[in-house]
Amino acid sequence: MIDINPKNTLIRYNILVESDMAPEEMAEKLYPTDPHIRQIAKAVFEGDEDEVVAALQNTIDSGVDPLSLINDALMAGMEVVSTLYDYGLLYLPDVIISAQAMIEGIEYCKEQSKQVHESKGKIISYVVEGDIHDIGKKIVTVLLRANGYEVIDLGKDVPVEEVVAAVKKEKPIMLSGTALMTTTMHAFKDVNSRLLASDINVPVVCGGGAVTQDFISDYDLGVYCEEAADVPKIADSILQGLDIRKLRDTFHKH
Amino acid sequence: MSVKRYSSMEYDNFEDLLFGHSKYPVKTGLDLEIGAGYTTAEINYAPRPNAAENQATLVNEYERITRDIMERMVQVGFPSVVLETEHVQQMTHNPEWGADIANAQKAIMEDYHDEYGIKCALRHTVGDVRGDREKIDLRGDAYSRILESFDQVASSGADMLSIESLGGKEVFDHAILRNDMRGVIFSVGILGALDVEYIWQDICNIAKKNKVVPAGDTACAQANTAMFVAGGLLDFKLSHSMASVVRAISASRSLAAYEAGAIGPGKDCGYENNIIKAITGYPISQEGKGSTCAHSDLMGNMSMQCCDLWSNESVEYRGDFGGTTVQCWGETLSYDCSMMNTALEAGVGKTLRDVLMVSDRYRDPQAFILSYDNAYRIGEVITAHPDDLYLRAKEAGMKACELIESGSAGFLELSKFEKATINKAWNDLKSLDENKESFICNCLDTYSSEVDTFNTSNYGL
Repeated sequence: MIDINPKNTLIRYNILVESDMAPEEMAEKLYPTDPHIRQIAKAVFEGDEDEVVAALQNTIDSGVDPLSLINDALMAGMEVVSTLYDYGLLYLPDVIISAQAMIEGIEYCKEQSKQVHESKGKIISYVVEGDIHDIGKKIVTVLLRANGYEVIDLGKDVPVEEVVAAVKKEKPIMLSGTALMTTTMHAFKDVNSRLLASDINVPVVCGGGAVTQDFISDYDLGVYCEEAADVPKIADSILQGLDIRKLRDTFHKH
Repeated sequence: MSVKRYSSMEYDNFEDLLFGHSKYPVKTGLDLEIGAGYTTAEINYAPRPNAAENQATLVNEYERITRDIMERMVQVGFPSVVLETEHVQQMTHNPEWGADIANAQKAIMEDYHDEYGIKCALRHTVGDVRGDREKIDLRGDAYSRILESFDQVASSGADMLSIESLGGKEVFDHAILRNDMRGVIFSVGILGALDVEYIWQDICNIAKKNKVVPAGDTACAQANTAMFVAGGLLDFKLSHSMASVVRAISASRSLAAYEAGAIGPGKDCGYENNIIKAITGYPISQEGKGSTCAHSDLMGNMSMQCCDLWSNESVEYRGDFGGTTVQCWGETLSYDCSMMNTALEAGVGKTLRDVLMVSDRYRDPQAFILSYDNAYRIGEVITAHPDDLYLRAKEAGMKACELIESGSAGFLELSKFEKATINKAWNDLKSLDENKESFICNCLDTYSSEVDTFNTSNYGL
């Protein structure tokens, strides 16, 4: 069997660019300084649901408003996770595990408060009609919730009529649709047409297996998204006032 | 049909594994023999989305695809070709659509065979439509429809039958996003294998009745999901070491089809097929650098090392500068096959095999564990536990960890993250239950409550 030292035939760029700093070390530099808040943020980073609730309880017992902890502590912890993910120091399962812990924390804070918590905005997520591949949608949904959005998850294989009816009822800031197969992705076109016919100009953010930027660019409401982690950033951009053209300028990479 | 477990390797030595050669070649279609000393391109395609409007438009689309491919093959002088039609949902939901298409395709292939003598065969891969919006129902009405579809395509022109079965996917999707090794073993090694075993006994009966080939399955819904989420070197989504361990475990799942009577060639996207070939001796289809039209991977050359069919995975049918996409990609694949076949004729097949393998061996842990020598070693631990689906899946995962660990002492560079991941995966595997019964019992408790679409009756549990 032939074997060679591959140093002249391939470059493992992931090792070349690897940070010397461990993610935990980097996170320590990013946590909020207040000891109570820091404890909650750290528990989110570590994805420890029990510790998140325990740390929240401690802080609430010391007189802090539960709802304020959603933004000040839970979101702060998730921000550390997102930052390290963007730096390539954390991987998707780390983000998912932290996000689940954070969502638990949000629910706990809501239960502890008598006031209503306002989300950053409402988003509808779904997998197109005829398609049951939903791992991408699951990832997007968790990431959006972890970033403070209320997600109306319509599930998989969702008929066009149901998507349109949900948009009319819920009035979301955007839709997030995924499709794996070329044969199902034309459902995006139908959603686009039906929404336009009703004078609804909500961005339809589309991604998944066979979906391409060229395909989505053909539809007035379409915004192509290649990376699940970009979906919360698109939502943030919509809140900052970016319209579909500017969203395309920012997030269309090809 | 009964299930016969593999308790030993059909190949005595990994050095005997080679492209174009399998221990048990498969005769099929129009004078084609797969794994009998030459490789053949397997061209795979998807119709344009608007072509599935009705039965007539879809049949017409596949006729165009088939004619385009056959014409290009004879224009450039290639001696053999396989066409793989992966069903769009309409074809499986309406078995007569699939049958009409198989019949139309085969008629065109027969015309070319009659006129030019080109050896060819048609594989139909029926869609696994056993899931819908509300639930996954592996053994209900949709299952009957799948079997009806197999029967109709087999009696209408398809030479080889395949499926990319879904079993275990609901728990796997949950587990892989949480780095949950126990869930991976349960979903792929137990649930997946049980489903493959169940469905392939019926497919083999249908194949026998229609005198066609029960070809094989793939762990696409699991191992390829992990591979695609893991992505490229700079995609920090899922550990590539984790994806490697999933791949090794998936061989135990795909093997169940052969234990139920399948005889190859296994499906192209089953990168675990190197392990399957070493265990069973049956021919395999593979994809790599010729499937960049469908996705990127980190072993584009290496996956040719033991292939008998060489595939492009899938490409949407449309025009390109060099012809239609099926012509362009079919030609690329066939030139690759021509190179491999020339190497075989010249007696330097093993040298080319090694060049292909070594060019990717250290590109990624996924490639490393699938290099033919390591694939063979994984096969050995699977066959060491023939009667225990749990133990053989667990041992396959642990062998992958061991191989990556030992490889990292040589030329296989691992990042700190990958090293930590492989250590964690290894420790997680070591700490799992001792026996299958307690493992399954504990997993049923966990995943019945954590995964809302998980239904134990789908698996006879």
